[in-house]
Formats: sequence, C-alpha cells, structure tokens
Amino acid sequence: MPFELVIFLAMVGVFAAGCFAAKLPVSLSMLLAACAGLLVSGNGLPVRHLVEGTFGYVDTILVIATAMVFMRTVQESGALEALNAVILRRFRTVPALLLPLLMLVAMFPGMITGSSSASVLTAGAVVAPVLILLGLPAPVTGAFIAMAGILGMIAPPVNIPAMIIGGGIDMPYVGFEVPLALLTFPLAVLFSLWFGLPHVKVVEWEVLAAKLDLETYKKYGIRLFLPILVVAVLMVLGKTLPQVFGMGLPVVFLIGAALGLVVGKRFNILSASKAAVNDALPVLGILAGVGMFIQVMTLTGVRGFVVVSALSVPPALLYAAIAVSIPLFGAVSAFGASSVLGVPFLLALLGRDQIVTAAALSLIASLGDFMPPTALSAIFAAQVVGESKYSRVLVKLVVPSLVIIGWALAFIVFSKQIRALY
Amino acid sequence: MTYLYLAIAASVLGLTAWNLWTEKDWRKQATAAMVAIPLLLRVLLIK
Repeated sequence: MPFELVIFLAMVGVFAAGCFAAKLPVSLSMLLAACAGLLVSGNGLPVRHLVEGTFGYVDTILVIATAMVFMRTVQESGALEALNAVILRRFRTVPALLLPLLMLVAMFPGMITGSSSASVLTAGAVVAPVLILLGLPAPVTGAFIAMAGILGMIAPPVNIPAMIIGGGIDMPYVGFEVPLALLTFPLAVLFSLWFGLPHVKVVEWEVLAAKLDLETYKKYGIRLFLPILVVAVLMVLGKTLPQVFGMGLPVVFLIGAALGLVVGKRFNILSASKAAVNDALPVLGILAGVGMFIQVMTLTGVRGFVVVSALSVPPALLYAAIAVSIPLFGAVSAFGASSVLGVPFLLALLGRDQIVTAAALSLIASLGDFMPPTALSAIFAAQVVGESKYSRVLVKLVVPSLVIIGWALAFIVFSKQIRALY
Repeated sequence: MTYLYLAIAASVLGLTAWNLWTEKDWRKQATAAMVAIPLLLRVLLIK
C-alpha cells in the first residue's frame, strides 16, 4: 500500500471519527485530521503549516463575514419581509410566477452568503408560512425551502464549494457567474413549480395580509430595497468596469450594510454584526480547517497521489464515482466534500472546461446538505416548518436530488459546448 | 484600498474575538480562534 494512501486514510479516518464519534464541529475535525496527517507522515507538528493553510481562504472569510453582516441588516431593516409581501400582493393570482419568485426570495441569503443554512433560517423562515398558507403541506414546504437553501448556496455571486474546489488547483474564483446561473436558476424554476403547483391555491389578499408585515413597507416604501439594489448594481459594475468599481465584494457588502442602517427599521448595528459573525463562524471555521487540510495534503504528497489515482479511473467509473461519492461524503460537510473529493475530480477532468466543471461539481457537493445524518439544510427546513421528523422532508428531496446530479453531470460532459454559449 | 481592507479584516477580527469571549462552548471558542489567527496575522502585517 503506498505510504501516501496510509496518510490519506489516517486523515480521512480522524476526520470522520471527529465528526461522527466525537461529535466535534467539522472545522475542528479538519484541524485534527491535518494534525494526524502531519504526525503519520513523520513531519511532527509544524504549526506554521497549519497557519499557512488558513491563509488560503482569508479573502473568502472576509467576503462571507461581510455578506452575513449585510444580510443581517437587510433582515433587521424589514426589507426581506417587505419584499415577500410585495411579491405576494403582485403575483398571488399567478402561481406559475409567484412560486419561482418566492424561490428566489428564499435563495437570496444563500446567494449572498454562500450558506444554505443562512437561506433556510432567514428568508426560508419568512417564505415558509406563506407557502403553507398558499396550500403547500408542511413537508413539501420544508423541501421547497431546503432546496432554495442549496440552490442559493450554489447560485452566484458567492459559491463557497466552487471557491474551495478552485482554490485546490490555484484557480481564481473568476468567471463563475454565468455557469452558476445556468446551473441553478433553471433548477430553481423547475423545483418551485415541482413542489408548489400540485398544491398551491389562490388565496384572498385579506387572508394573506393578516399574516404579513405590511406596516414596514407602508412606512418606508421602496427605499427599503435600496441596499439590495445598490449591492447588485455595484457587483455588476465591478465586473463591467473593474478599473473604477473593482472594489471587491467585502466593500460592496459593507456599503449595502451601511445603507441598510438608514433605509428601514432602526437597529443596533454592533449587536447585529456580532450576531451575523456568530452565525458565520461555523462556516468560516470550516474554511480555515479546509485550508489546513489541503496544506497538509500538499506537504505530504497525498494531494498528488489522490490526483494521480483519480486520473487513472476510467471515464465511465469517474462519473459514477462523482455522482455517488461527493454527495455521500457531504454527509460530513458539503465543504469538506468539495475539498477532499471535488479537487481531485476536477483535476481528473482536466480535458473539460475547468470553470463549468468546477461549478457543476460544486452543485453536486451541495447535495451533501441533504445527506443524513447531518442533512443541515433539511433539518433546519423541517424545524422552520414545524415538522418533527426531518425524514418526511428528505423523502420529498430524493427525486429532485437525482435530477440535480443528472443536470450537473450533463454540464460536465458538455462543458466545452456550454462555455461556447457565452 | 489596502488600508480599507486592513480595516475590514480588523473589524471582522474584533467581532470574532468578541464572539470568542462571550461564547461558553469550548468547541465554538476553538472554531473562533481558528478564524481569528489568520486575521490577526494579516492585520499585524505579519503574513
């Protein structure tokens, strides 16, 4: 057995033991796995390598932390609930439009923060009561917002699994917007109708109004949405006129957060920022842990070994391995699956368009958030809709998950043709 | 722009340290420390 395989098995074993046996957070399990790799390889415990690894994701950490602060200000200012109310008022009689729009609202926090939990627990919690009121059963509503969570996590502008996979092969997170949009938005429309259309009914506005917060929109009007609009415009300008507006996502999010302070309900920005960073810390810790894990894999030669092994797998088996192993490993963490399996699989697919392929792999990795026993997205969604057994939500997600895998594999197979479209 | 980013890193570091200080669970404290270390080194221009 090659020595690199021994080291890799030790790292994965310690990681799994940390997550499942010791019930440690994924971040600490990654740290322990990196230490195990160092010890087994005979490198001792060089702390500088662990610290060096965390720097791979410092910029991503800043993006996510500031995005969470922005999202919190949007929530506290009342903009999220107001947006929900406006969409319902305009489109409640046209379910085929209403459902995709509600899906987009539920996806929005995930798109900004790159976290499915942020989507499910913030916008998901706002959209879920409305969906139930519109006639969707609780498990279906849970499936709707859980799906919004993972699609939001993958949709542009912020996609952490794609950043992790790209970081593993030194590919910058640039040019992902179009493939990620092509991957996620058609699925968002499809699944919103899939879950919603069989159950949705047209409800009288008076019935809906009683359940909605209409006062905030009446009081502050359209200016409530100014932070979201400004952030969107600055993001587009940052791409089209980078010399003038290329200020980076953290500054854009903080400008949006500053606007959020003055356009709606008043709130304490320090407490809101602290709560936002507190919510983000598990994800930020995972990024630091992933950085350490990859650094040790590189130092010990495991990374090269995994890549060479992945390259030697026959193409047909490679696709099957991608479809099965990445979501299964996602039971530990979608981010962990991106790091440990996403990177070698991307290297094994070097003949494909790398950006489209990395985007598609990130979509498959996101399914880890549906994978028991952790199943973060499904568990939070079940809590939000008051469903005691999250398995009832998960059952509704099985077929859509297979559709997602098929869709992502099609993107990998036809990556060059898809790249030629834009 | 460099100073602006250092200020943002310092702010995130401050909020992380604040959470670390008020957190009771050692696992979450350790996670916060993992995030704080690279930010601290970046703010101090050591790395």
